[in-house]
Amino acid sequence: MAKILVVADIKNDALKDSTTELLSKAGSIGAETAVVAIGSNIEALIPGLVNAGSDTQYVADDPALAIFSAGPYASCVADAAKQFEADQIWFSFSESGKAAAPRVAVQLEAACATEITDVAISGEHVEVIRPAIANKVMQRVRINAGQMVAVVRAGAFEAAEGITGTENVVTLSPPAVDVKAVVKELISDASGEIDLADADIVISVGRGVKDQTGVDLVKELAHDLKAGFGSSRAMVDGGFMAHNKQVGQTGKIVAPSLYMAIGISGAIQHLAGMNGSKVILAVNKDPEAPIFNVADYGIVGDLFEVVPILRAEIKKIRI
Amino acid sequence: MKILTTVKKVVDVELTIRVQAGAIVEDGLQYVINAWDENAVEAAVQLKENNNAETTLVSIGGGDNTDMIRKCYAMGIEKGIHVEDPALEKADSPVFARVLQKVFEKGDYDLVITGKQAQDTDSGQTGIMLAEYLGLPCVSNVIDIQVLDDQHIKVSRLGDAGTEIIELELPAVVTVTDSINEPRLPQMRGIMMAKKKPIDVMDLSALGISIDDADGAAPTSEIVEFMASKTREAGQKFEGDAAQITAQVVSLLVDEANVL
Repeated sequence: MAKILVVADIKNDALKDSTTELLSKAGSIGAETAVVAIGSNIEALIPGLVNAGSDTQYVADDPALAIFSAGPYASCVADAAKQFEADQIWFSFSESGKAAAPRVAVQLEAACATEITDVAISGEHVEVIRPAIANKVMQRVRINAGQMVAVVRAGAFEAAEGITGTENVVTLSPPAVDVKAVVKELISDASGEIDLADADIVISVGRGVKDQTGVDLVKELAHDLKAGFGSSRAMVDGGFMAHNKQVGQTGKIVAPSLYMAIGISGAIQHLAGMNGSKVILAVNKDPEAPIFNVADYGIVGDLFEVVPILRAEIKKIRI
Repeated sequence: MKILTTVKKVVDVELTIRVQAGAIVEDGLQYVINAWDENAVEAAVQLKENNNAETTLVSIGGGDNTDMIRKCYAMGIEKGIHVEDPALEKADSPVFARVLQKVFEKGDYDLVITGKQAQDTDSGQTGIMLAEYLGLPCVSNVIDIQVLDDQHIKVSRLGDAGTEIIELELPAVVTVTDSINEPRLPQMRGIMMAKKKPIDVMDLSALGISIDDADGAAPTSEIVEFMASKTREAGQKFEGDAAQITAQVVSLLVDEANVL
């Protein structure tokens, strides 16, 4: 039986759904599963780690792990992988995962596959499916090493119903601090906002909203819908939206149930970050905008006119 | 400060990519510098201009990389190394990282700057693996580099919880994202001077590495086949009276798509 170690995706002291999704997939291919959780004061998350469907929980809980640092984080994962004798180590799609996975792979002399959307065991080999060239093609990749470290693309796997785990907590020793890469400060993202990666609905603004007035107009719609509020590159470069709001290959890759692109023309790098969404609605005044090629519903019109109507219509059904 | 920048020649992602019988159709493809590597080159050139850094680029594989390397010279890079070898055809990220390790060890560099990923594979592993092989500190997804002194730099990284400010002891490896800068367009004078600059071309044996298990540089993965991406079809597009079509779309989102 294959042994799969899932790295718990923890943000703002909460366990994210992706952890359950990865454990569900690991369970569905008949693997023995473990999870490794890394952070500070995370004891309260242990029941959640069990319920997410893991048979063993490796926990590295130390004040020094409060702020992400790739070196110590990777050491914890490698430690858990060795103790569990994992065949595969799966990270959720996150900047932490992308930074740590190649390190863990080198430390374990394992293969590394990023942005995978599926995994299968074919004969003696593990094979993964992953997009490449800005999502324009898919690759089937054969792993020729005994172990594989993978980063799973957002939205690739679904959480199973009614999964249960077994509590078996193993405490990991705190790793050495990386003295050559010292995190001096964390400028935290605005708190209280809905995380783009978790949001069921994401609404993003592009060049078409022009300025702060346009941004604020669409932000009200996002607020009404409790939606994640994202951006194309143009509005980030223009200083209207924060870097961490950028949806696209540079930035966040999202796959919500509903993605609304407001005033976004649809550059390839942006599309690669959102074309896994279930349903896409685009509002743009240019009927030839490339965004309409991927949108399930397209409204050709002036967003300054359309967005207030959109708000009013949605309010009618959402009271 | 001596800087090594990596540049990869990749397929132009703006063009249509076709897949046939498990392979990418070569016909009609064009090749360009990896966009994130162009940001790495710009970052290196800015450190040359502002902090008297020496700049060298290295490119691995890609066939004739003369035009791409000359472009980087025209942007301000001083020296170029091109590692080319038939054995590189099956190279994956660990192999690229092992080759870069050899280049690094021959050059006494203080800082390696790479793009955060290459547009042909979108893997984002090579720079981080290089640091791990060399035992050097590494920060990925960097949006700012400041020189503190001969031995230290301060970088900003876009992380999951916000922007991380990290002090790095040199030598170090950073991978940059496109928010770090806007790559300059080469000027005529630079283009003319670039034509005269030599490119140091070498094969793997000259570097003292072979692609096999003995050097720990064998590929750990192989692409079995390429497949066409599942493309989204254009859906329904509405034009006309804003109030009417918007109301119509909202009711479709509710009744047809079931997402509101």
